[in-house]
Amino acid sequence: MPLIPVSVITGFLGSGKTTLLARLMRDPAMGRTAVIINEFGAVGLDHDLIETSEESFIQLSNGCLCCNVRSDLTQTLSDLAARRARGTLPPFERVVIETSGLADPAPILHALMTERDLMGVYALDGVITTIDALLGVATLDQHEESLRQAAVADRIVITKTDLAGARAEAVRQRMARINPGARVVEAANGVIAPSVLFDCGMFDVSGKHPDVGTWLAYESGAHVHHQHAHTEGIASFCVLRDQPLRAVTLPLLLSALAENCGGDLLRMKGIVNVLEDPLRPVVIHGVQHVYHAPVWLPRWPSADRRTRMVFIGRNLSETWVRALIDLLDAEVAAETAKRSGVVA
Amino acid sequence: MEDHHLHAFLAESLALWRVAGKVRAGQGKVCAQIHASSGAIAWVERAGDDTPFRWFVRWRAAGEAPGGVRELRPRACGSLVGLLAALREALGVERGSPVRVVPAPERV
Repeated sequence: MPLIPVSVITGFLGSGKTTLLARLMRDPAMGRTAVIINEFGAVGLDHDLIETSEESFIQLSNGCLCCNVRSDLTQTLSDLAARRARGTLPPFERVVIETSGLADPAPILHALMTERDLMGVYALDGVITTIDALLGVATLDQHEESLRQAAVADRIVITKTDLAGARAEAVRQRMARINPGARVVEAANGVIAPSVLFDCGMFDVSGKHPDVGTWLAYESGAHVHHQHAHTEGIASFCVLRDQPLRAVTLPLLLSALAENCGGDLLRMKGIVNVLEDPLRPVVIHGVQHVYHAPVWLPRWPSADRRTRMVFIGRNLSETWVRALIDLLDAEVAAETAKRSGVVA
Repeated sequence: MEDHHLHAFLAESLALWRVAGKVRAGQGKVCAQIHASSGAIAWVERAGDDTPFRWFVRWRAAGEAPGGVRELRPRACGSLVGLLAALREALGVERGSPVRVVPAPERV
């Protein structure tokens, strides 16, 4: 049975998440979508604003999804899948989760990636983050939550572009610095085609290649080779490597990143040229210390066969990451030579 | 890995861990010494080719008297990842979590 894609819509308070979701749900293409909304207050309002079938609509009002009701989310998704299997719920083909405006998306992504009950049923499609063209820059300046929501996004939707005083270009420029791998789009009054926002994840359940073209656009766009950008401690940079990495280096690298960077590493994505199998690249993807097992693609998605890794995090040292990769690979090479009796 | 590369990398690691301190060249078997402003000292040695390890680390924790167990009995490390783990312990760095790798959806 195909996995059900799950998209997370996040964004700061008042940034237009519910407006966006409400408009999306009017599109016939979203007909078979289950919706889970997390509202921070005790009395939910957002669900009244969204038209969808009652049985495939769940409201979680017990607190912020990223901390208080993570287990509720897991239970809710499990229940939805069970009811779908029993035929007591329409056979929904997609789940959209709207977080509260203060949520840190990372724990929600962790739940989707790691909960045993969910892994065989659902696949994380991506994170869609709304940012207000009117107040977005100020919100990013003042609220850590907003920065984290932008940093982990696969799609960034600039909202309220129709309002007087909107500064969409300023938001766009800011996003290019915080999360250059995310596709940035605009939506006035939430009007946008679902196809722009969905099926954007690392693991397309339809079998397409992951969206490496978008999230590795960092180094091919306006950004200067090897230059990193940072805003209020949130930094992003792309590591390019002409030389292939040894396969054993990869798990060592992931361990070192998790253990030494901790929560400062918000998201990491990469396509890696592996020495032992240079015709098939490996895709790696992690949120903080949680990674999907590396996936071997059948072939390179373009003629560019360099290893490319995008890092987004707080107070990350690009110099440290580059040195770590070089030193680990050199160490693996030396150890391999030592064990095979060859002098390195 | 040349000593100066190691020293630069360890200095960057201290900054990443937000530890104030200095990395210095060592003497004899010791290829690097780390002196934290907390008073902790760590000594890094390269393991010989006749051992299954790559590094040995000894340390004196902050506030500890000379001649403690960890100063006399080195911790053996099989890779740079282990070396960093030993140094974090030596310097009292609480950092990060063990990596968790979960099945990619295609493989479930």
